[in-house]
Amino acid sequence: MKRTGIYFWTGAALFLGAALLMTQVIGNQYPFFAGYVILQFIVLAVAWSILGGYAGYVNFGTAAFFGIGVYTSVFLFKATGAPLPVQIAAAAAIGALMGFALGLLTLRMQGIFFSIATIAATIIIETAITNWRYVGGAAGIQLQRPAVTAPFDNYVEMLFFVQAMLVVLAVAISRYIQRSWMGRGLQALKDDELAAECTGVPTLRLKLMACVISGALMCAAGAPGAMYLQYADPSSAFNLNYSVSTLAMSLIGGTAHWAGPVIGAIVLGTTQQLLTVTISSEVNVLVLGVMLVLFVVAAPEGIIGLVRKVRRKRNEGEG
Amino acid sequence: MKRRTLLGGAVAVALLGLDSAALAQQAPIKIGMSMAQTGGLAGGGKASLLGIEVWRDDVNAKGGLLGRKVELVVYDDKSSASETPAIYSKLLDVDKVDILFAPYATVPTAPLMPLVKQRGMLLIGNFSFQVNSKVGHDMWFNNAPWGPADSWASSFLDLGQKAGGKSIALLAADQEFAQNLAKTAREVATKLGMQVVFDQAYPPSTVEFSGILRALKAAKPDIVYVASYPPDSAGILRAVNEIGIGDNVKLFGGGMVGLQFGTVMENLGSLLNGVVNYNTWLPEPQMYNDGTKAFFETYTKRAVEAKVDPLGYYLAPYGYASGQMIEQAIKAVGSLDQKALAKYLRENTHKTIVGSITFAADGEWKESGVVQAQFRGVKDKNIEQFRSPGKQVILFPAKLKSGDLITPFEAARK
Repeated sequence: MKRTGIYFWTGAALFLGAALLMTQVIGNQYPFFAGYVILQFIVLAVAWSILGGYAGYVNFGTAAFFGIGVYTSVFLFKATGAPLPVQIAAAAAIGALMGFALGLLTLRMQGIFFSIATIAATIIIETAITNWRYVGGAAGIQLQRPAVTAPFDNYVEMLFFVQAMLVVLAVAISRYIQRSWMGRGLQALKDDELAAECTGVPTLRLKLMACVISGALMCAAGAPGAMYLQYADPSSAFNLNYSVSTLAMSLIGGTAHWAGPVIGAIVLGTTQQLLTVTISSEVNVLVLGVMLVLFVVAAPEGIIGLVRKVRRKRNEGEG
Repeated sequence: MKRRTLLGGAVAVALLGLDSAALAQQAPIKIGMSMAQTGGLAGGGKASLLGIEVWRDDVNAKGGLLGRKVELVVYDDKSSASETPAIYSKLLDVDKVDILFAPYATVPTAPLMPLVKQRGMLLIGNFSFQVNSKVGHDMWFNNAPWGPADSWASSFLDLGQKAGGKSIALLAADQEFAQNLAKTAREVATKLGMQVVFDQAYPPSTVEFSGILRALKAAKPDIVYVASYPPDSAGILRAVNEIGIGDNVKLFGGGMVGLQFGTVMENLGSLLNGVVNYNTWLPEPQMYNDGTKAFFETYTKRAVEAKVDPLGYYLAPYGYASGQMIEQAIKAVGSLDQKALAKYLRENTHKTIVGSITFAADGEWKESGVVQAQFRGVKDKNIEQFRSPGKQVILFPAKLKSGDLITPFEAARK
């Protein structure tokens, strides 16, 4: 138990070190633009999995949280010129509040009804932003980035590193939840909420905590997006694509372990980026769809499930 | 003897080497862009790209530019703003393209403006609206004929005022382009001393317009200015057909997006009659320039194969014109130096298949090329009818005028 902790934190430190080194060594900007998107999807998928994977509440509202993250930054930047860390912290706080509200929804709604409610929430929030002229309304808003902070010489490189830090934070939280009493409680309520409640699992408190943490992380992941694009418009920020991709990444990676969504996001995010610059037509939508169907049919527990199956077989063979 | 052969061989090899080096220098000129091929903007994006591709093939058939072939590097931006920064960074840093064209429409273009400004790259815009007004990039040139921001609201309201209109109703979708139009229309109406008697924004997903139109009708406006998107344009015209709009309306239309696309026009058919709407290029005799006819012959053939808009009047010739402008600039400058190309584009008038283009300081057309045209004698379910002149009579600008306005709107509908 302790040894895996050391491995994990060494890995995280190496990952951050590598990300920092990349920003100092590589002159080509493209890896940072593309890498940023992949890292952003890792955070989203890991955050989604805390509620969707551990607790089994399928949330289609990723786009709502992401978009609110973007628009929190837009608002703060326009109103006060707040620096990036403030934007992210504020987005996380608002995301936590939104998550709390979402958590209260689960009191009355379960399964498919909960999922539909999250889609509805996305549409309501998008409509509200569309009608809010101060943050650009329907026309969108262009933003001018402030000067970059040392040691970075380019804003996108800095955003890439910031997003890498968010990845480490999200994964560490997800890993902690999985291994603590919270994870076991969530697992119990996923299997049978009523039975869990009867055996003394504080289901409401757990669901609220999962929603708050998941929401805060999703909003935080969206916050640097405003400065990444230097532009925000409701249809891009609240694009349903974020919800669908995040869900697909978690499912393809596997939701039983914290590493599942990370693997899924890397695999699917990289594929998406590659397809955009290779096939680049209607076909790339098809490829993603086929990938999802294949995984659902052939590996219902995702890549993590496949790995476990292979391991189990090998162990049986040895035994 | 042997030595001489050896020497000859060596010389030959060396020459060959030189030769291949010379050939390698003749690498193609790469023009990079993203274009919506999936998502909401895909219909327009594909037609626009086909126009650019026709230009590429024409220019390559003439031997290319600076003795080099022209090659397009195109990626799909899925109609989204969040895809374009990564795509253009790849175009610049990995593909090392020589010239940048912007994607079709405002939203995917907006995030690029700071990037190209920072990199000092020339950018040929593609039908985006007022995207450079805040950024102020001095190497931006839009191929769209919008001209000054208020020009197309003023052209429409001018027509209305000449027809005796004193009050105006505004109906606009709650989306970027439509709201921009509505804003300028309000300003122009105030300037012309017109009274705004109805001003309504509706959510983009609205499908049922009869309620809104009844309210509009009750306000008894002389002029109805509509700024709408393709699905709602159709919905509004259907509702007008059902419940009418009142006898005092002299002019109806203005900024309805969608009525420029072949399939939409085919579906609406006779419902279009009487509507006065903005447009870019129309098959009226005055609109033909050097090469326009040949372009549409090629385009029509290829559009059928590629299954894009078979008419392609709205976007495709302007895609071709983007190519023509950069072709003229590169030929005149004799290099691919971005600053020199921008200087040339800014200071000269460019002859294209959509007419002569001169740019203002902000990179938009100095003089608007937007026409206002009235649909007339349109029959149902026939796309070929729109190829002949007289179906969309040009009322504005004066130099392109091909007929007079028929008023009131109810009379023109018959």
